[in-house]
Amino acid sequence: METVSTTARPGPPRTTSEPSGSPLWQVPQVDTADRWLLGVASGIARELGVQAIVIRASFVLLVAAGGWAGIFYLFAWLAMENAAKVSSAPYAPQPKGQTTAQRHIGVGLVVLGLLLLLRLLNFGFIGGVVWPAGFVFVGALIAWSRLDADGEGQGLSAAARVLAGLAVAIGGLIAFGAIQLPFRDAALAMIFTLAVVAGVAVVAAPSLLRIGSDLDNARKDKVRADERARVAAHLHDSVLQTLSLIQRHADDPATTSSLARRQERELRNWLYHSAASVGYVRLSHALNDMASQIEADHRVPVEVVVVGDEAFEAMTDKHLEALLGATREAITNAAKHSGSHKVDVFAEMRPLSDSDSVVVEIFVRDTGAGFDRDAIDPQRRGIIESIEGRMARHGGTAAIFSTPGEGTEVELSVTLTERSNEEEETT
Amino acid sequence: MLRVVLVDDHALVRAGVRAELEEAVHIVGEAENVGEAVDIICRTKPDVVLCDVHLPGGNAPAVIAGVVGRGVTSRFLALSVSDASEDVIAVIRAGARGYVTKTISGDDLRDAIQRVAGGDAVFSPRLAGFVLDAFSADLGDTAEDPELDQLTPREQEVLRLLARGYAYKEIARRLTISIKTVESHASAVLRKLQLSNRNELTRWAADRKLF
Repeated sequence: METVSTTARPGPPRTTSEPSGSPLWQVPQVDTADRWLLGVASGIARELGVQAIVIRASFVLLVAAGGWAGIFYLFAWLAMENAAKVSSAPYAPQPKGQTTAQRHIGVGLVVLGLLLLLRLLNFGFIGGVVWPAGFVFVGALIAWSRLDADGEGQGLSAAARVLAGLAVAIGGLIAFGAIQLPFRDAALAMIFTLAVVAGVAVVAAPSLLRIGSDLDNARKDKVRADERARVAAHLHDSVLQTLSLIQRHADDPATTSSLARRQERELRNWLYHSAASVGYVRLSHALNDMASQIEADHRVPVEVVVVGDEAFEAMTDKHLEALLGATREAITNAAKHSGSHKVDVFAEMRPLSDSDSVVVEIFVRDTGAGFDRDAIDPQRRGIIESIEGRMARHGGTAAIFSTPGEGTEVELSVTLTERSNEEEETT
Repeated sequence: MLRVVLVDDHALVRAGVRAELEEAVHIVGEAENVGEAVDIICRTKPDVVLCDVHLPGGNAPAVIAGVVGRGVTSRFLALSVSDASEDVIAVIRAGARGYVTKTISGDDLRDAIQRVAGGDAVFSPRLAGFVLDAFSADLGDTAEDPELDQLTPREQEVLRLLARGYAYKEIARRLTISIKTVESHASAVLRKLQLSNRNELTRWAADRKLF
């Protein structure tokens, strides 16, 4: 909500926002910056261009004279809040009267007239009801004031506010009892008060509902905007970066295509398997991610083919973790050392017909230089430790076939028991 | 020299493929959408059409359907970056003799074109994987036509090796059979893929949007 200082407002907004025929009357807005209760009095004062204290005094006087001003205060507050929420333009008081003295005299005359009218008609109900009801009202107001206090500094803590509200409200109820009033009159007054409040509720309900739905729409818009921003951020970090990298490497087809392939994989995973970032639900996702990383690091295309990976249960099985670790080592070796123009990875999960277990086999193949196992320095632990040792420790097997000049194939196999998803494969 | 038509909506891809192939085949035309492709194929009647799976104005199956019954005996080889299995299966079922990905090396691509021109089937590792997956469920006695709806153990073996990245001659050596036998297994699988009514084939392709 726009709040504007009460007096001596500098010129520009006033002149620019009212080019011609500005209305003489508009609903003032609550002045939350300078308020005693709800800011109604100061809001009216701001609109009329008089000191806030004048309007406050008028309210006190009129309440004392008959109580109606209290109800008017409530109505005014609802109307002013409503006007503030519905209008989007910043609030600016309209010029009224020529001089301060004239405006003050005007207010004085209005108050005097109302006082006389109330006196004349003997129309007050202040006696037995207004003071106690006022107490209850003020108590409730203090307890509820959180509702319109958010965003501003809160003087009282929530608990203190509730306590203060209760105290005032109880004071009001005691006052009811203390006043010498026949029960019947008190009951009538209560009913009357309830009727007025109900009337206010009925009158204000549509606007309040609309305000509610406006806020709801605004929230939805925000959610949508946030989602858009998230997508934009992702595309910027991934696709746009890759495109600019590709432009820079336009004369290097190997780099360009490995960048493009990696980006494609990433984008597909992001679009269709957002779960993949948390835990893999398919062997193919795990292997594709692995392949794209290695591709990026070593600039060799890695083609992944996975068959029967329905039953994959997100990395819970230690065996599977070992299998994936060994696979990574095998692919990395092929990409790094073989000189092959691509690496083929084939993985298959197969249920064993006589039990609940599943066999996972992974083949990593390159058509590069190959090597002679016996010629390798036994100190080098790559194959022995990372592939064969790892698989053996987890009850799997690893076999490596290599012919110098023709390429290498690593065969990894492990049997997983206690599958979580038994029905899927047996049907 | 074989006469080849290139169909791809990206000029850069066409230029790249042309550079790879120029010495080995005679490229008689290029097209970048379905309409152009149908026109040029009917006009030039090439031996082989190298066709991208995704095209503006319809996909590769639309091109194949467009030239049917117009005196064209060209054989189709699908060339794509697409990983989407339903696209791959659809283009094979429409009549393509093979599917290779754009990461294929120049040598392998030339080899694949020769093979397709000779009436053989060409399986990239990925296609082999798709086929294994599609035919994996055991139908038992419920298969409508066991001849078409199931792969023989030998065919599965050949497909597994294809999926592992083996070339035909390497498969032949490993299984100690002749290359001709490997080729006939591959052609049999292709035929099953095209003709089988196995409802897994359609359902499977629809289930798996990707990979």
